[in-house]
Amino acid sequence: MAKYMSMEHLRYVLFDVMEGEQLFKFERFQDHDKDSMNIFFDSIKDFSDQELYPCFREMDEQPAHYDNGKIVVHPALEKILPQTGELGLVAAPFDYEDGGLQMPLTFHTAAMFIAEAANNNVPGYPGLTGGAANLIATFGSKVLKEQYVPNMLTQEWGGTMCLTEPQAGSSLSDITTTATPSENGSYKIKGQKIFISGGDHEYSSNIIHLVLARIDGAPAGTKGISLFVVPKKRINGDTLENNDVLTAGDFQKMGQRGYCTTHLVFGENDDCQGWLLGEANFGLKYMFQMMNGARIAVGRSGVAISTAAYYASLQYANERPQGRRLTNTGQKDLSQGQTLIINHPDVRRMLFLQKAVAEGSLALMLQTALYHDLHMVSEGAEKEKYYFLEELLTPILKTYPAEMGQTSVSNGLQILGGYGFCSEFVLQQYHRDIRIMSLYEGTTGIQSLDLLGRKVTMKGGKAMMLIGQEMGATINEANTYDELKPYAKKLSEQMHLTTKVVGFLTGFAQKGEFERFLSDATLFMDFFGTIVLGWQWLKLATAAKKALVTGDKTQTEEFFESQIHTMKFFFKYEIPKTAGLAQSMMDTEVLTLKEEKELIL
Amino acid sequence: MKFLVCVSKTPETTAKIAFSGDGSQFETSGVNYIMNPYDEWYALVRALELKELHGGSVTIINVGPASNDAVIRKGLAIGADNALRVNAEPNSSLYIAKQIAEHAKTENYDVIFCGKESIDYNGSEVGAMVAELLDLPFISFANHLDLEGNLATVSRDIEGGIEVAEVETPIVVSAAKGMAEQRIPNMRGIMMAKRKPLSVVEPFDFADLSVPVHFQLPPEKGGCVYVDGENMDELVRLLHQEAKVI
Ligand SMILES: Cc1cc2nc3c(=O)[nH]c(=O)nc-3n(C[C@H](O)[C@H](O)[C@H](O)COP(=O)(O)OP(=O)(O)OC[C@H]3O[C@@H](n4cnc5c(N)ncnc54)[C@H](O)[C@@H]3O)c2cc1C
Repeated sequence: MAKYMSMEHLRYVLFDVMEGEQLFKFERFQDHDKDSMNIFFDSIKDFSDQELYPCFREMDEQPAHYDNGKIVVHPALEKILPQTGELGLVAAPFDYEDGGLQMPLTFHTAAMFIAEAANNNVPGYPGLTGGAANLIATFGSKVLKEQYVPNMLTQEWGGTMCLTEPQAGSSLSDITTTATPSENGSYKIKGQKIFISGGDHEYSSNIIHLVLARIDGAPAGTKGISLFVVPKKRINGDTLENNDVLTAGDFQKMGQRGYCTTHLVFGENDDCQGWLLGEANFGLKYMFQMMNGARIAVGRSGVAISTAAYYASLQYANERPQGRRLTNTGQKDLSQGQTLIINHPDVRRMLFLQKAVAEGSLALMLQTALYHDLHMVSEGAEKEKYYFLEELLTPILKTYPAEMGQTSVSNGLQILGGYGFCSEFVLQQYHRDIRIMSLYEGTTGIQSLDLLGRKVTMKGGKAMMLIGQEMGATINEANTYDELKPYAKKLSEQMHLTTKVVGFLTGFAQKGEFERFLSDATLFMDFFGTIVLGWQWLKLATAAKKALVTGDKTQTEEFFESQIHTMKFFFKYEIPKTAGLAQSMMDTEVLTLKEEKELIL
Repeated sequence: MKFLVCVSKTPETTAKIAFSGDGSQFETSGVNYIMNPYDEWYALVRALELKELHGGSVTIINVGPASNDAVIRKGLAIGADNALRVNAEPNSSLYIAKQIAEHAKTENYDVIFCGKESIDYNGSEVGAMVAELLDLPFISFANHLDLEGNLATVSRDIEGGIEVAEVETPIVVSAAKGMAEQRIPNMRGIMMAKRKPLSVVEPFDFADLSVPVHFQLPPEKGGCVYVDGENMDELVRLLHQEAKVI
């Protein structure tokens, strides 16, 4: 079987670089340890090898589709979906009292990453089920919890998040789905939701939709949005009965075609009942809890796909002979056989780029999840610190692996030459699959507004100050090794540049020129995302150097040398981009603000 | 019924194998270990299936250091009831077999399972030695085992067909592919395994009869040589002078 991820690298980042074991000393996670996590990862890898990877291509070739009022998905999901529940992939992060296993998100994310690298069509199903169940467990009444959570944690029932409507995508303040109070305490739901992932299929006996809707008479905008539990089949005693949730169609997509995307109509026959979750008009706030988790999950998908693509390209580059290396005379020695393409500098550059993006993003993913866990279990000032760090990194994790993941997979496809464009090879599928990551769960544009408009400025720039301290700690550690000093210096220069750019841009906000302040938010995302990745790479390389120096090696020497080399690659080929971006952002010329005369013709 | 499953820890199949300079030590850095697949997928799972059918208990035994506990815990996570580790650094199959036999001789196991071989040394020795030391029947490479009362029906592939044997328990069986199907442990099982008994005993005193002195890797496989389709003379030359096959 082709390699699609590296267990060694995952373990290295998780245990040696992030020191994930630190979490087990907290009471919440004390029943876990390194050995049990490694057994769990091996289980997920076996499951992925045996069940997920073998049908990855087929799910693309025989996509989920709408047929006669029903969504038809790949038949392998009949066996796979219950297995995800059985293995614990849904229940893992939940509280014991809700039937969960209190696993840190960091480790759950690592496990889901393995599955996702094998087949990115699948983890969305248990992922959304877990997200929906989490909202019910957190904000639902005892009755709602008892009715829904147990069957969701086994993945017998699926779950979805229903936000988007035809006229309300990025801007949720415009949703129009309505909720009318009924006498029995439930609400009558009426409206349409589009693009709903995992919205319907035959391999879950019920699907629990978490629907954003407006209670009659609620205030306009986001302040009038509430959240409802709307099952496909409602519970009536011991039986399930139809709840007037109609599947009106599906969306045929360019990628991730095994993961169904549906159009749902609620209350076409005036008989769709929903149950209010938490308090009225707090729906969006609650939903954000799920969305943050979902954003981390989308980042994870970007990491997983770029990782799988890297290994596919690497294998090809190691097998494909083409051309000859230049000799010192500048000529090719035609008496020599052809060389493997991995020996050409340009192919090596592309492979290093793929590796730098995939492995650096993996570190960012685990770093963000670690902050999440530390926020959950710490107290006082520490708790606040980790909250800010997680909030700051989440939009970057949602975006960097998606955007740079596309560049990385595209380079991976390039390595295959013309074969990369052909359906016989898998690269074109990764290329199509990864494209969604910068769209759903808030587009790159929306994430960038969130990063610059909210996260950078919140509490007087507290999150930026804290991330500066984290980067400073990495720089200090790197500075203890001569080989790493030049890179530590470069990172600290990047931090100074960030301060300058942020100072320049926030100047507009202070003057009340908010549109100008945020007009280049996406450039800022690219800029700061690159610096954050540079920080992660310095961290990866420092841990590798430490292992080489102390001789405390969990991996081979080449493994550690490869980490240090890839860090150098990142600083040589990626970090310099930030200078150009900074220049554009601090250029006083204004070209993208809408003016009276339209010049986009 | 009482089942004993002998398990060993082996490097993962993809592990890069290297030895220290003088060839006396296996280079362990960067090597990930697993439970020997024949022990895990076939021996242990069949023992669990038989326990589920007939009742009883499944015990895992390993002769090795504390770092083997992770592998033992995986066996408990898959479903074994308890485990025993003989705290030693074994250097030979006979040493391991002696330790296992020493434990088993007073425990009245109905079936003692081991894998058909371990995927590191591929010796296929321990099972036969345990049987000999306990004076029990031994059936190697079994891919099917049913029990009815104290009658075991065991089959195995032989050249051109299948051999079926009937034998009275207690027996020692080495399990091959086909005996059962891998069970992937789930997280709940993994957590519960921590609460199952894993006892550690000191080894029975026994002086090894043989000592490994040296390991060496096989010669590296030659790379692939690509010959231009038009260049038949070169192909003939290579086959004649270098490969020496014509
Ligand atoms: C395959 C798939 C699965 C999905 N799954 C789900 C799901 O399970 N549940 C769910 O509720 N939704 C889901 N979605 C919907 C998804 O979240 C939306 O498509 C996304 O949020 C963008 O909304 P939109 O498509 O309406 O685009 P629009 O909001 O119309 O955006 C179009 C463009 O305008 C930009 N833009 C919009 N507003 C602004 C602004 N204020 N400032 C700057 N730029 C702006 C965007 O960045 C984008 O480039 C899914 C979508 C797809 C394609």
